[in-house]
Order: sequence, then C-alpha cells, then structure tokens
Amino acid sequence: MVKFRRLSTSRWWNNRKSWIIILFFLILLIVRLSKTFIFRDVYYFITKPFWPGEYQQEILRKSINQELNIKLNQLEKDNLRLRQLLDLQNFSEANKLNSSVISRNTGSWWKKILLNKGSQNGVSTGDAVIGPGGLIGIVENTSKLTSSVQLLTAPNSKVGVWNQRANLHGLLIGVGTKTPKLFFYSKNADIQIGDYILSSPASTILPPNIPIGIIQSIDNESKPNTIATVQLTAKQEAIDWVQIFRMRF
Amino acid sequence: MKFYLHQYLSLISFLIIPLVIFWNPSWLSLMGYQAYWPIFWLLPWALIHGPFKSMLVGFLLGFILDTINADFYTQIPGLMICGFWFGKIGRLNQFNNRPLHFGLTGAIGSLICGVIYFCQMVVKLLLENSPLWLFSYGVQNIFAQVFLTSLLAPVFCKWLYFWFSKKYKLKI
Repeated sequence: MVKFRRLSTSRWWNNRKSWIIILFFLILLIVRLSKTFIFRDVYYFITKPFWPGEYQQEILRKSINQELNIKLNQLEKDNLRLRQLLDLQNFSEANKLNSSVISRNTGSWWKKILLNKGSQNGVSTGDAVIGPGGLIGIVENTSKLTSSVQLLTAPNSKVGVWNQRANLHGLLIGVGTKTPKLFFYSKNADIQIGDYILSSPASTILPPNIPIGIIQSIDNESKPNTIATVQLTAKQEAIDWVQIFRMRF
Repeated sequence: MKFYLHQYLSLISFLIIPLVIFWNPSWLSLMGYQAYWPIFWLLPWALIHGPFKSMLVGFLLGFILDTINADFYTQIPGLMICGFWFGKIGRLNQFNNRPLHFGLTGAIGSLICGVIYFCQMVVKLLLENSPLWLFSYGVQNIFAQVFLTSLLAPVFCKWLYFWFSKKYKLKI
C-alpha cells in the first residue's frame, strides 16, 4: 500500500499569498473600525509645520491688545476730562510708586506691613497702597526710608467704598479677621452676594474705582444698617510688591 | 572681643527684639500668628535681675514696642506686671531651669499681656458703642500667641538665661 503524504507547501498557512490577503483584509477592518483616526493623526503630524494658526493667532492677539489699549486710553482720557469737569480728584501714572514689602505682620494684633519707600521718595501719611488684586491699605506713618501701612483688615481701619452695581456708598471696617465688615447706611440696601466693592469714585482720600473685594455674605438681621462681610481681592499675606498712590491735590 | 560680647549681651539681645518683631519669621509662626517675642527676653533677664529692675525694663520694652506699633492701646502694663512677677520668682528661688518651667511661665506671661491688651480694645469698643466683633478674633489671637510662646520659650529663654547668668557670674 502506498501512503499518500501531502506536501507541506500545499497547506494554506504555508502560502505567503494567503497571508498577504488576510493582512490586507485586516487592515481594511482596522480602517473601518477606527473610523480613519490613524489617517487623521498622521495627517495632523504631517501638516503641523504648515498650519497658519500659531503665527496668525499671535498677530490676532497683538491686534486685540492694541485695540483694547486704544480703547483703554480713550476711556481714561474721557474719565479724566469728566472728573475735571466735576472737579474730582485726578490720578496719573506719575503718582504711582512701586515698592516692596520688607516686613509683614498680618496675623497678630497689628495688621501692618512695612514698605521700603519712605518720605525720601515722596510717600506721605494717607497714601493708598495697592497690591495685585486691589487696595490693601493706607500709609499710616513714614520714616525717611520706610513707610508703615495699616491693612484693611486692621481693627481700626475705616474706608469709604462703593457698590458699583447698586450705586451705593458704604463704610468698610476692619475687624481683625481676613473678612472686613461693610456697613451700608440704609436698611434693605439693594446688595447681593458676589457684588464688587470698589473705592468710591467721589473719594478724596482714595484713588477712584480701585477694586477692594467681593460681598461674601449679608446679615439681614442687623438693624438699623445693612451689614455685609467682604472677601478682599488682594491677598495681604502673600503680597511682595505693591504700588503706592501718592495723594496729591 | 568675647569679654565685650558678654558685657553687652543683654543690650544687644534687647535691641534685637524689635528687629525680630519686624522680621516676623513665617517658619516660627502658626497660621500667620506669631509668638510674643518680648517675653523670651524679659523672662530670663528678670529671673537674674529681680522684680524692680525688671519692672522698669518692662516699661522700657513696652514703650519701644508701642512706638513701633503706633496703636491706641499699650503693651506697657502687661510687660511691667510680667517683669515684676518673673523677677519675684527669680528672687524667691522658686524657679528651676527646667524647659517645662520656662514654657509654662512664658505662656502665663504671654496670656497676661494678651488679656490686658485685649481688655483695652474691648473697653474702647464699649465706649464707642461698637459691636464686639473683635471678641472671637481677640480670643483666637491670645490662644495662638500663648501656644506659640509656650512652645518656643524653653528654647529661647533657656539659651538666653544661660548667657545672661554667665555674664552675671563674670561680673561678680
């Protein structure tokens, strides 16, 4: 009896062509299932150097900044003109003085900071001190080289403020904690949580429209005034550089 | 040089107190609160020099600190009482130099000064008919100050006591 034995080359898995066909169909399947994400990603990397975006975005950003600067200058000029008409206090860049904080005492009885600019640099008692975020305090006294600033959180601090939305004036009083109390002179004042508090535009003590804080809570039980708690926008315990607004009349 | 340093160590360390208050090292403070620094100097000095001298030095120290802080309230009475009391303990030999003793005495001294200072605030508010919002802030401040002072007093007071007593012995 003759034994028939199949040659190994005759099996399909030993055939190269069959594997190529399988691979081809497999690729088609992957392409179908992946919804061509591979192609899209490859296209992304190939075309990346030729995109118009990066450079054009920069141009766009610059032009928007330019436009905003022009608008800001125009508004400042208008503001200055109107303030002159109303005979209110004026401030210019020349009145600003940069200073660094050399001593900070924000957590004990005395809420004060010490700045490295004094009477020698033209700083005087009553000047407003502004940090990143807004007003932080008022110069209490000066030496030749330094000036001491009473913070808005200090128990003796009292500052006139303005609620922009409701067009209401109030008095911000420091109570030692991080959140000073805000007194409005009328009961049922139209104030809401989240309202911005600014320095009064008619103030002769502070520069106008400087951000101070945000109303955190309102005490409706209080009589006869409306009293609110204010979260200050400037973080006094973390400020290293400030601007002193020299008050000149 | 060493002799001079011993001679003027009390004066030098006394003059350093306002500088440390200005410096207010954040790594020695707790949530922004700092220890009552004058106690660290006054306690060891008073233990050696007795009640009356210490009361006068307490007055001087309070006067300098009041000038620094330029406030409505004064630290003089608290520091004078503490100076007298610390000096009295030293004179009566009721003080042993254990760290716990330094910590406890410093904490009580800090409490006395804090309470006297806070009472002045409360009296002013009552006279002005203002609401007592400062109450919780004051109590929190006193507790933080007492805690930190008691924690650091064994280190600073013991070290200064060692130096002051060494100088005192040299003088004798």
